[in-house]
Amino acid sequence: MPVNWDNDKSAVLSRVCVAVFAAFLLALDVGAYRLSAWFAQVRLMHRQLGVLLTVSIYAGSVFAWICLYQLWRLLGNVRRGEVFVPANVRCMRLVSWCCVGAAAVCALSAAYYPPFAFIAVAAGFMALIVRIVKNAFAQAIAMKDELELTV
Amino acid sequence: MEILVNLDVMMAKRKISGGELAERVGITPANLSILKTGKAKAIRFSTLMALCRELECQPGDLLEYKE
Repeated sequence: MPVNWDNDKSAVLSRVCVAVFAAFLLALDVGAYRLSAWFAQVRLMHRQLGVLLTVSIYAGSVFAWICLYQLWRLLGNVRRGEVFVPANVRCMRLVSWCCVGAAAVCALSAAYYPPFAFIAVAAGFMALIVRIVKNAFAQAIAMKDELELTV
Repeated sequence: MEILVNLDVMMAKRKISGGELAERVGITPANLSILKTGKAKAIRFSTLMALCRELECQPGDLLEYKE
């Protein structure tokens, strides 16, 4: 059976992925306390560190929700054909700052659980990538505006 | 400083309407309006050439630099 793949279907797939991540995040939020307690038990950590882990998860979750919402909006705009618009640049700027926020939470969390430092670096790098794409988008919008007023 | 587009003046001299000029030049009336009102950020050489051809004038008759 031939697969008629196009940009619209790709955007739908991306939205489905965002929804799946949102479901995972919701599950994480609901089970954060139990997960932290279990993790602390498995790793033979102090109970207080389990509580700190819960706090880290919820703090990071706030940024993750904002990020997912912005990605959802961004994909909605792309599906409507509104690609190079200032609203998308705002979405990407927020996503980038959310990555910075998550990196900060992970960096602080590394104080009690060092492996968080790796996630902090990954989140920081992600923020950088999104920021550069955002800069390219902003430039593309300026070019598009100029082109639209070229007769 | 700015570049003024004196398209109105030339159109009045040649007694040609916006719709007719747009059709002859091969641009939309909306784009001609953008040009006339000075909202355009750039003009293609091909458009300028067509305007000069239809209005029987030089680019300098259409564009004016003002301090």
